[in-house]
Formats: sequence, C-alpha cells, structure tokens
Amino acid sequence: MGETKSDVLQGTLDLMVLKTLESMGPLHGYGIARRIEQVSGDALSLNQGTIYPALLRLEQRGWIKSEWGTSESNRRAKFYALTRIGHKQIEEETENWERVAATMARFLAPSNARSN
Amino acid sequence: MDWIRVLFSRCIALFRRQAQDADLEEELRTHIELAVEENLKRGLSAQEARTAALRRFGGVTQIKETYRVQRGMPFLEQIVRDLRYGCRQLWRSPGFTLTAVLTLALGLGANTAIFSLVNALLLRPLPVPHAEQLAVLNFVEGRSPDQTFNEPMFRALEKRHEVFEDVAAFVDDQYFQVRSGSGVVKVHGALVSGQFFSAMETAPLMGRVLTPEDDRPGGTSGGFGVVISEGFWKTWFNGAPDVVGRKLVIANAPFTVVGVMPKQFIGADPTERPEIYAPLWSEPVIDAPYNNIAAGFHAWWLEIIVRRKPGVTLEQANAALAAASNAVIEEAVPDAKWIMRAEAHHFRFGAEPGSIGYSEFRSHFVKPLMVVMVLCGAMLLLACLNLASLLMARSAARERELATRLAMGATRRRLVQQLMVESGLIGLMGTAAGLLAAPTVSHALAAVLLGRFRTAVLDTTQDLRVYGFAAATAIAVVLLIGLAPALRATAKNLNEQIKQGTHAASVRERRSLLPRALMSLEVALALVLVVGAGLLATSVVRLYGTGLGFDAKGLVNLDLDMHKQALDGDALVRWYSAYGEALSHLPGVRGVTFQSVTPLSGSAWTDQFQTPLSGSNQRMYLNAVAPAYFQTMHIPQLEGRDFQWNDTPTSGRKIILNETAAKALFPGQNPLGQTVTQRNGTSFEVIGVVGDVRYKSIQQSAPAGAYEPLTQNNERKPSYQAVVRLEGSVAPLAGAARILTARMATDVPPPVMTTMSTVLDASISSERMMAMMAVFFAVCALLVTAIGLYGTLAYATARRTSEIGIRMALGARRAQVVELVFRENAWVAAGGSLAGLAIALLTSRALASFLYGTSVHDPWVLVGSVAALTLIASAASLVPALRASRIDPIQALRAE
Repeated sequence: MGETKSDVLQGTLDLMVLKTLESMGPLHGYGIARRIEQVSGDALSLNQGTIYPALLRLEQRGWIKSEWGTSESNRRAKFYALTRIGHKQIEEETENWERVAATMARFLAPSNARSN
Repeated sequence: MDWIRVLFSRCIALFRRQAQDADLEEELRTHIELAVEENLKRGLSAQEARTAALRRFGGVTQIKETYRVQRGMPFLEQIVRDLRYGCRQLWRSPGFTLTAVLTLALGLGANTAIFSLVNALLLRPLPVPHAEQLAVLNFVEGRSPDQTFNEPMFRALEKRHEVFEDVAAFVDDQYFQVRSGSGVVKVHGALVSGQFFSAMETAPLMGRVLTPEDDRPGGTSGGFGVVISEGFWKTWFNGAPDVVGRKLVIANAPFTVVGVMPKQFIGADPTERPEIYAPLWSEPVIDAPYNNIAAGFHAWWLEIIVRRKPGVTLEQANAALAAASNAVIEEAVPDAKWIMRAEAHHFRFGAEPGSIGYSEFRSHFVKPLMVVMVLCGAMLLLACLNLASLLMARSAARERELATRLAMGATRRRLVQQLMVESGLIGLMGTAAGLLAAPTVSHALAAVLLGRFRTAVLDTTQDLRVYGFAAATAIAVVLLIGLAPALRATAKNLNEQIKQGTHAASVRERRSLLPRALMSLEVALALVLVVGAGLLATSVVRLYGTGLGFDAKGLVNLDLDMHKQALDGDALVRWYSAYGEALSHLPGVRGVTFQSVTPLSGSAWTDQFQTPLSGSNQRMYLNAVAPAYFQTMHIPQLEGRDFQWNDTPTSGRKIILNETAAKALFPGQNPLGQTVTQRNGTSFEVIGVVGDVRYKSIQQSAPAGAYEPLTQNNERKPSYQAVVRLEGSVAPLAGAARILTARMATDVPPPVMTTMSTVLDASISSERMMAMMAVFFAVCALLVTAIGLYGTLAYATARRTSEIGIRMALGARRAQVVELVFRENAWVAAGGSLAGLAIALLTSRALASFLYGTSVHDPWVLVGSVAALTLIASAASLVPALRASRIDPIQALRAE
C-alpha cells in the first residue's frame, strides 16, 4: 500500500518538475523547489530534498538534462533543462494525470461535495 | 526504451561513483546556501536562516542515500561488497579455503572429465549440417539390433529413396598401405559408398567429393578417385595448392586425389579420423588379397548411415524399412534357406537416431563409463557433504557476529546472501580448478579405454555442453554446500546468542543433529566408495594373477603386413623362416616364432571339427603358428612333437590340439596319430598335445583350441605376427626390427611392435579404468572424510574450551577428556560405517557383471574397508581430542 501511495506522489512530483522547467526554462534544484512551493502555496508540504531523487529519475530517463552553470548570486549550481523527449513526454504525462484526476474526482464527487 | 536508458545511465554511474558523489555534495551545498541567502534577505539571523533552510530541505543524509540507491545498481554493488568481504574471509583461513577448493576441484574435475568422455561418445552431434536428419540403420533378427551389414543388402537398400534422401555405407577403421618416397606407410582410411558425401552435406575445401559415379567397379574413366582430409593434405602433400589431380598409390594401385575435406569434417563415426576416403568399390583393390564384395552376403562389414527426407520421422522411416525388409533380403541373398530362416525369425531392418553418428565403441564403453560416472557423482556428493559440514562448523563459530548484525537491523536475506557469496566463491574456484584439470584426466582415461584400438580417438575437447554441465553441477554444489549452513547460522536470535556465547555455562547443544547426520552420511558414502574400489581392484588383481597358459612377461609381438608384397606360397614361408632367423640374432632375443592370432587381442579364428569319437562338431579356436611356438610362448608340450619348417603342404596336413580339445575330440584315448576332420572335409593328423591357453579373454576359461602349422596354411599372402621372447629392454628391438624389415622386404610397412603385457592391459581396459578411478576416488574419499571429521571436531572442541577447562579444574583426568571429545566422532563414524555397510551390501550387486573371481560380498574387502575407514576416522578424531586434553584449565577459565 505504502508503495502505491509514493508512486502516485512520485509521478506527481515528476510532472510538477517537468511543468516548472517547461514554463521557467533551465533552473537549478533550489529554484525548482521554490517554484513548486510557490505555485502550490501551502497545499503541498514537501521536503525540498525529495526533488533531487526526482531530478535524477527524470535525467536517467533522458527527459531532462543537467549542466553546471552560475546562479544569479554567482554560485556554481547545476541547471536542469527539458530535453526534446522531455517536451514530448509532458503531453503524455499531463494526459495521464488528468485521466487519473478525473477518475478520482468522479469517485470523490458524491460524498465529498462540500470540500470541492 | 526508457528502461534501456535508465539501465545504461545506472551502469555508467557504477564507474563514476566518486565523481558523482562530489557532484551531489556540491549541488546540495549550493541548495542550502541559496536557501540560507534567501532566509537572510527575509531578515532572519544567520543561525536561524541556516536552521530553517535545513528544516525545509529534510534529512540530507536520507536524501543522499535515496539518491545513491537510485543512481547505481545497489544489488550489484552489494554483491561486489560481499565478494570483497568473502575473499577477505577466505584469505584469512587459507587452510580451510585450500581444502575446500581442492576437494571441490577433485569432485568437479572428475565429473567433468567423465562427462567429457560421455559427451564425446554419446552426446556430441556430428559436425555436419542438419545432423538430426541422420539415422543409422540396423537389423533385428530375434535378438538385439545389429548395425553391421553385408554389401548385397546395402546395395539393395541404397536404391530405396522413399523416405531417405541418401543411403550410405562406410567402413572406417582400416589402414591403407600408401606408397611414399621411402617405402610403404599405413594411413588411416575409410571406404565409403557413392551417397556418403551427399548424406554428410559438407562442402569440400578443394576439388569435389566422391559421388555415385566414383563408386562403381573400376571407378570413373580415370580410375578410382579418393578424397583426403585437410590434415593429410598438409602433411603428405605439404599443402600443395595443385593437389587435386595428383596420384596416390594405395595397395600398389593408382588412385587420383579428387578433393580435400575441411578440418572439421570427421566422417560418420565420431571416434575415427580417417585421412583418406576411397570408394566402396575399390575395396577389392585396397583389401587385396581379400575381397569382401566378392564374399557377398557372407561378409558383414559395413555400417549404413542415411539422411531422412525433410519431414520424415524416425517412426516413418522404421515403418518403411520394416515393410521393405523381405523384398530387400530376397533381392540381396541368393540362399533360399537363409531367407526362409530369416523370415521365420522376423528379420527386419530398422533405423535408430544417427545425429551422433555410429561408433562401435558405444556398446563397449557405455556401461563402464556409467559405473565411473556414478562413482564420480558419489565422490562429488561426499565432497559436498564434507564442505557443508565444515562450513556449518565454521559459521557456528560466527553465530554471535551474525546474530549481532541481525539485531542491528540487517535482514536475514542479506546475511544469507553474504554467506552464499562466500560458498559461491569456493564453488567458483573449485570449478575453475576442476575445469583446468579435467582435460588431462579425460585424456588419460580415453587412452586407457581405447588401448587396443589404434585408429580410435575420443575427442574430449571441452565444448559448450561440457561447460554447461560444469556450470549446472557447480550451481547445485554451491546450493548444497552453502544453503544449509547459511540458514542455520542466521536462525538464532541475538538474545539467545548473547546469553550463550562461548561460555562454559552453555547447555550442550542438542540441536546439532544435522551436522552429525551430514558427517555420518559422508562416512557412509566413503565406505561405499572404498568397498566398490576394493571389489574392482581385487577383481583386477585376480585378472592379472590368472594363469593364462603361457608366459606373457618378456613377449613382444611384431605385426607384419605381408598382404601387398609380391611373395606368396612357399617363397613367403621361406621369407618368414629367414626373417625369424635374422630376428633371433638381435641382442636380447631368446626365441622367435610366428602366430596368426594373438591370444587375448580380441580377434579370433574358429572352425568346427569332429572325430568319430566326438560325434558332433566341436567349435575350436584356431591359430596358425610357426615351429618353436610353444617353446617361445612357454606353453607346455604335453605329448607328441612340435611343428617343423619342413611340414610342407605336400607332407600331409598336421594339427596340434590343446588339452581341452584332445579330451573333447578323443575322450579316453591317445589322440596322437589319429585324424580330425574340419567341417569342410579337410583331414588333419594330430601330431601333438599342448597345454591350454586363455584365448578370447582373461575372464573366459581356455576354450578347446588347435594349432595348424603356418607352413601348411593355404591362405593367400598371409600376414603373421613375429613373437619374440626378449630379455632386457624392448626399445632397441623396435628400431632393429624396423631396419631389418626394410632390408628384407621393401614393400612392407614398418612392423608395429606391441608387448604382450600391453595386449593384456588393453584386453581389460574397462576393468582397469574402473578400478583405477575407483581406487583414486576411494583414497580421496578417505582423505576428505578424515579432513571433515578432523575439521568439524576441531571447531566443536574449540568452542568447548571453557567447559573442558572447568571439567579439568574439577578433577577430570586427561584420559577422560580425550574420551569425551573422541566419543563425539566415534558415534558419527560408527553410525556412518553401519549405514555405509548396509548400502554397500545392497548396491554392490550392480558391480557383479564387472567382477572376476570376486564375490560382491567378498568378506576380506568388506572387513578391510571398514578397518581402513575406522583407522582413518580414529586418527582424524584423536588429534583434536589430544589437543583438548592439553587445555590449561587456568587459562581456559580466565578467558571466561
């Protein structure tokens, strides 16, 4: 059970990272984490560190690539950017997620209308 | 596609661990610093900014660990770590490691060696395309199938193509006499029928193969063609590019080389390597003065191999052959009575799988090889039991360490994996050592087995099948030796373990039944092996001790090949006489004579004789011999006289009987001067009676036999063996005889020299091989068992040091301590011996057919085996017992 839950979370995080890179362009790990926090507001309480295994996972799949560069405050930082495969993948992942979300919504709608 | 990229990147990561660790380190540091910077901007103090940043980040170490696990291949890295750890562990106890590896190498090496022989003989397909379509023909006439055919039957079968693409006959254990610049040389050759090469589907290296056009009386318009092997092309023709079209003089007749076959082509018999392939129809030329083709259906000399049409199953082929049987024999056999008898006995042709070709050795060697294979298996099992026991004793000493690790959070699976990696390392090293040693062993065994068959080879090259066998065996072995100790060692919980430790207070372990059972089983197996070896060895000793009727020691045979030279009749007899005379002047020669058949060589010449007294025909084993034969062989002349060189064909046919024959043909009478009649009507006068001689084999008692003088032999150009009674070294005779032969007869190949003791050895090659292997295994089994008994007891005693110390402090005497320790193994050994004796009594019956003059329950062997085992076990157990008795109680208690 625990594994299934984290899988969903993983996929979610992956998609957030991909969307962030799509909208913001190349970004370092801290930037990505901050952006996700900002966009999600307080809804998501996430340890920033978990971003790194997600980044590694995406990089291993070849969806993003990384490069050392210099940050706005002149620090050496690793910058992540979408690859061509990554761009294509976003579409697919988004569809997947929407399908899951829609299904979940259908399950939750009748009994949980109040919180919607 | 994704997973390939992931795997690839993980593989890369394996090799860049340090660089990537540094990268990650820096990346995370940057992250924290950026966060601190932002917090500072928001007005937090330096301390607060840092704490907040770290809190937001989460556990740095956990993230790093997760990252690393995901980055590389944790399982592989773990294995590598275990391997390193295992190597260190093994390195730390070199004595144990060496014993373990050697024991395994022995077991695995022997098994692989025997398997290589089995592979060569029974498993490896012929190196031809679609070998699975091949089949070997046989015929059944009541009894078991026979694969040897006569020429007319083959020619009748050859025309039938309903189910077969090709039907080919061959005979490939022949020597061709090929003329070279300096004389005549014997070359291993094969006679093959027209469709042989199309059945083999192998393209020639040069020129062409033989076809049905070559296999005709007289051959093609250019005479007979031959195909040669690549090896022969390179040695005989020095690899000349224009070899096709060159001439070879075989048996004084010209043959034309039409093609060269590539190296991998070995013909249809995996145990022969012919160098020249000649058409079947050239047999009368090559075999002159004999002629198997002219002998028609009386000469059974051909093997038949066929290629089935695609889609034709063996069952369909068998059905077709059975249906055609009567038609074929009616076409092939001109003897109506023979046909009637054959049909009454349901004579029918059949086909058996032929992908592995045909070899006459299968029937000889399969049973002995299976016996040795079983011995090998037992030896390997024994080695495994031994190692399992030792590993168990060893890991018992590590139980505390393992229990602590379990308590600290290591999973049991993880620990078992680590212990198994250690066993795997031992297995790997043992297998490697075994594989290295195996070829030598299989070569030696092949040489012993093939003894008398000069042209035969057993190709024991290690191929994929052998490696597969070794790998499968090794895996089974590792599981066998490793799993039980690993599971046991990790079974205890820490609580129990820490309470007990190695303290004297610990209760004597009652649960150690498994190690004792293993050791007992090992002892039992060792006893079975020793009994088996004892029986086989006793049998061989008795074989060698059997009175043969002649004195084999110092006898040397010179095989002369006189078929193809010009002399015949009286002139040839005079030549033999002169040759014998010349030989007798060579140094060390005490007597010279000639014989047509070497006793115990496997060949035989028989005929039926009768006398008015004997009534019916008596089957007798014959030999044509020269004067002084009995004197030279040391066969006692009981009555009458010997042959003389002047017993010519015109002076009346003479015969000398052996004792058994004299009794059978002339019961209660003096045979001298009387007449015996051969089945064909020829009469002989009995001029002497001599002692009996074992003729067919050492095992079979001397048959009724008779000797004819070679001076009266009416065979054409007979070849005899010179029999030399020699004093001193054999080696100089070979060279001298070669020179002498070359001087006295130019067209004769150099004589092949064999000592009679070699003939004896070869006649019992299977028995010898089995006994040699069995004795070797028995010695190893005793040794391994001794090591096992010693090792396990030594470990167990070491753990009882404190207990023994207390006992001694409380007044136990040394003898009592010795007894205490010794008793542990005594039970194991006694139990094992009893079980082993029971198994041996039940299973030794399987050896009965291989034993000569030895009962399967030979009391001396049984008693001797138990005694040997007891002695070894006692010696192995006494050492730890004595060591225990020297424990210093003060020191032992201080360690408490």
